[in-house]
Amino acid sequence: MSNDARRRWGRILLIVGRIALAAIFLSAAYAKMKPQPGMPWTHGSVHTSLSMFAMGVDSYQMLPPWAVSPFAHLLPPLEFLLGFWLLTGFGLRISGLVSTALICAFVAAMYSAYERGLTISCGCFGPGAQIGPKDLIRDGLLFLPLALAVTIGAFLIHRKSSAPSLPESAPSATHAD
Amino acid sequence: MIHRTSVMPRTGERQFCTKPFCAKPIKAAAVLGVLLYLGICVATSAGAQTAPPAAHSTKPATSATTHAHTATSATAALGSPVKTYGSSSAPITMEVFSDYECPSCRNLFETTLRQMIPDYVASGKVYLIHRDYPLPMHKYGYEAARWLNAAARIGQFQAVEAALYDNQNAWAQDGSIEKYVAAAMSPAQFKRVQSQMRGCGFETAASVKPAALALALGGQAGETCSVDSFIEQDRALGNKIPVQSTPTYVITYKGNRLPAGSGIVSWPILKQFFDSLLSQ
Repeated sequence: MSNDARRRWGRILLIVGRIALAAIFLSAAYAKMKPQPGMPWTHGSVHTSLSMFAMGVDSYQMLPPWAVSPFAHLLPPLEFLLGFWLLTGFGLRISGLVSTALICAFVAAMYSAYERGLTISCGCFGPGAQIGPKDLIRDGLLFLPLALAVTIGAFLIHRKSSAPSLPESAPSATHAD
Repeated sequence: MIHRTSVMPRTGERQFCTKPFCAKPIKAAAVLGVLLYLGICVATSAGAQTAPPAAHSTKPATSATTHAHTATSATAALGSPVKTYGSSSAPITMEVFSDYECPSCRNLFETTLRQMIPDYVASGKVYLIHRDYPLPMHKYGYEAARWLNAAARIGQFQAVEAALYDNQNAWAQDGSIEKYVAAAMSPAQFKRVQSQMRGCGFETAASVKPAALALALGGQAGETCSVDSFIEQDRALGNKIPVQSTPTYVITYKGNRLPAGSGIVSWPILKQFFDSLLSQ
């Protein structure tokens, strides 16, 4: 495979990777923000869903009480923005780094809860099953490597594209010598 | 000869029954009455044992039967245990599936529900329902649930729930649940609770057996104990959700059941959620 073909496949994989990563963040944000059964899409119903997510955050027993609600109200919109940012591909190195850091934090929080024996819901994609090895494997061995791959890929492509190319006149100059 | 033989028993019968009250039929009726009474006691729930002992039933059979029926209906009149706080017409209903030996359940009760009850429950905003979901990993969880249901049938749910959680560390060590239940009510009330616990097998060391059996047999084990059916009803409701751990809470707002949550949630956060629901 030539360098051009390799570079083209690298770019395609990077696009697929960042779309997949964006989909993860967008679906996670949607699951947390969507109105509860029987409620319409209004500011109030989204606030209710975020308040419900706050209960999930609180059950991790990691944040001080004053920080739970602001964190729960900020995280899903942040995930939503991050999802869109990844979709656009603009500043992919930074969005990749933010995604990796966020997933690392999620895995650490889940592992901590699991180690402390807390039988709580993950809350990653809204209310659901309690934290277990399945969630840790999903986030730690699937989502985290994906985010890392996107970030590393973004840095590699940026380095290659910004590397100083040899001047076109150089070979002829050598030849002239 | 034939004629004389047929006459002989009648003559013999007359010999024993010359007095107005024949002794042998009375004894037979008494024995029959006792047997019938015992049969009814066994056939009906353990609560029928609250009736006076069978030895007292030296009356005619009909009287003993009536007495047994009265005792049975008195137990049935207790009805289902009421394990709730507040008014059922409240816009928010919160069902909490818990195990009395579970430390997280105690924390939820002590730190959150205890603050919620005099506030949002008392003001008619929230209707709180306790559901039993004893876990097999806890040695005395099932027995505690039995005591609570027996107490709830005579209207002592709230006092006993508080007593069980307040003294969880103590009874979880040695299984001395009865002591704390007794301390939470008057002696007369405790006697009524005790009468419902007869036949539950808690006197034996194998107090965890019903829970283990109930799980193994899919909830069929508690049939011998009158309060076990209430625990199994709650557990069946929990299995539908499904409850994976305790405490698990299910909140229903204006008929819409929201996804179940689990673990401890602090009162300020829960209150904020209730406020956002009520503002809808």
